[in-house]
Amino acid sequence: MELATESSTVGTGRDYTHLVQDYRVHGSLYSDPAVFADEMKRIFTDGWVFVGHESEIPDAGDWVARRLGAENVLMARTHDGEISVVANRCAHRGTTLCPQTEGNSRNFRCPYHAWTYDLDGTLLGAPFPKGFQNGKPDVRLDQPGQVDVYRGFVFANQSGAAGPLSEHLGPGGSDLIDRAADMSPTGRLQLNGGWLGQRADSNWKMWPESDNDGYHIIFAHESLAASLLAGSQYEDVILGGEGETSSVARDYGGGHVELDFRASYATELAWLGAPRSKVNAYCDDLEAAYGDDKAKQIMWDGPPHAFVFPNLFLGEMNIARIDPLAPGLTEHFHTPLLVESSDPGINRRVILQSEAAMGPASFFLPEDVVIAERMHRAFDTNPTDQHAWVDLRRGIEREQHSDGQRWSDITDETTSRGFWHHYRHVMSRIGEAAAASPNGSPGNGQG
Amino acid sequence: MSAVDGATHREIQEFLYHEAMLADESRYPEWLELVTDDIHYWVPAGDGDYEPGSRVSFLNDNRTRLATRITQLMSGRRYSQVPKSPMRRIISNIQVLAVHPDGDGDGGSADEYEVGSNFVLYEHAVQATNDMRIWVGRTTHRLRRTDEGLRIARKKIELVNSTSALPNMAFII
Ligand code: FES
Ligand SMILES: [Fe+2]
Repeated sequence: MELATESSTVGTGRDYTHLVQDYRVHGSLYSDPAVFADEMKRIFTDGWVFVGHESEIPDAGDWVARRLGAENVLMARTHDGEISVVANRCAHRGTTLCPQTEGNSRNFRCPYHAWTYDLDGTLLGAPFPKGFQNGKPDVRLDQPGQVDVYRGFVFANQSGAAGPLSEHLGPGGSDLIDRAADMSPTGRLQLNGGWLGQRADSNWKMWPESDNDGYHIIFAHESLAASLLAGSQYEDVILGGEGETSSVARDYGGGHVELDFRASYATELAWLGAPRSKVNAYCDDLEAAYGDDKAKQIMWDGPPHAFVFPNLFLGEMNIARIDPLAPGLTEHFHTPLLVESSDPGINRRVILQSEAAMGPASFFLPEDVVIAERMHRAFDTNPTDQHAWVDLRRGIEREQHSDGQRWSDITDETTSRGFWHHYRHVMSRIGEAAAASPNGSPGNGQG
Repeated sequence: MSAVDGATHREIQEFLYHEAMLADESRYPEWLELVTDDIHYWVPAGDGDYEPGSRVSFLNDNRTRLATRITQLMSGRRYSQVPKSPMRRIISNIQVLAVHPDGDGDGGSADEYEVGSNFVLYEHAVQATNDMRIWVGRTTHRLRRTDEGLRIARKKIELVNSTSALPNMAFII
């Protein structure tokens, strides 16, 4: 792996080229409040962050409340049909505008002094105009410097200086999102099955790690081996034995990584756990939309199991977002990957799979949570602790690379290294983005 | 005003207390004996005002999935419940909301009781954080009278904070 060449420290003086090494990372990266502050700036303010999906807000006035780095925002559909992302914080004295998680409103009216904003954040009016020069204060709701949409997935960049979204996603991230969206015969996902939240008393970076760790499945989820895993997409990992698995851990660069199960599927629709006869109309829809060859490919490959930096998990039948709230507190929200199809059976099955895989009562996620919480307690430490290293060397000698991609056996830590390699790059960068956003605050009325 | 006489009300109350004790003590096989083959065990998200399976739920089990859940818990490697959470729940405000008498075609040929109750559950989350967690909600049971006594044909649990991100809930709620 190449080393970051730029100056290695940012505001708080942590040396990320030391704390993130090629085969190990320092435990204080999970628990140090200074690191968390740097992340909120470097990753979640200066970079692109996943916010939501346009299918969540189909009609004018629809909005959902979201976390964008350290800020609470609203993602709304304006009267012109555009997507807007604005701070959920009144520009007068800061009152939260919408305490609910979702709704539909003609405008956003603050309960405190009734300042009223259009869905795009423009101030429509403030009561008793004689008290203001020009009858109205010259302010609006804060908004990110950039908002962009790829295949329905809405991303925002607070600083406005992150460059185009296409560069952030790169060919790897774009392809992963394409594969998820192409599961819908119309190419449009319908993420309207609701979001379920899982709270973890651990650091957010344990999610990109554990969601994409092929090594732990047989062990941490062993309690399912007898009953559920046999016959599932994980069977290859469980029963194949070392060196006999065909699944692959991939690093696309840019922090985007995948557990690529495609080669291990022994039948079409293996990822769904159902034969074609159960979802015939869905398969017909795919063939009509994409032609036989591409439809066949989709039916064999299924949706990706992948992470798009820094907070989007394409978790097969689920889309998940990761909200870091504090060094030791993370919320993981997921929604089923629902498609537009004439076959009602496909979405029913997806919801059932979603309920089995994710959420606090599911068969998988609770183990990942409790392990992350145990790790977090082990690394509640400081950067000078010489013992608190996380070892990520597995497979480093045997991984292969070409065209900017790395890959190795599914049980190798290529995916974790891919995340951390990009993390080091972003966290040790200094200069250009900070200069473009002088006080580090979002929006300030730009765009 | 209860829909049943005092003796039946007391019988239902005793049944709910017994179920609560088995759940508190993670006595999985004994708890599983209390449910019917056509059980529906549901923890909806939000206000629960939707058809189960049409949106994502915290838990939406038929008998097969519930049996898998119990098998997983009993494997000894369901790490989110290793060690098991010590728990105690207080069941109160028990109301028999409706009686569906024998032979009305609603749930077979046995008497069924729709029972509402509130609970407060204290969980000591000993697996990692050692937090004392508090779970609060409303349960609606559909209890069926069988030859073995009352059995649970439906259990719906509406948590008061079900729109929030919740910590692990791998025990029997
Ligand atoms: S704080 Fe919102 S109107 Fe005053
Ligand atoms: Fe896992």
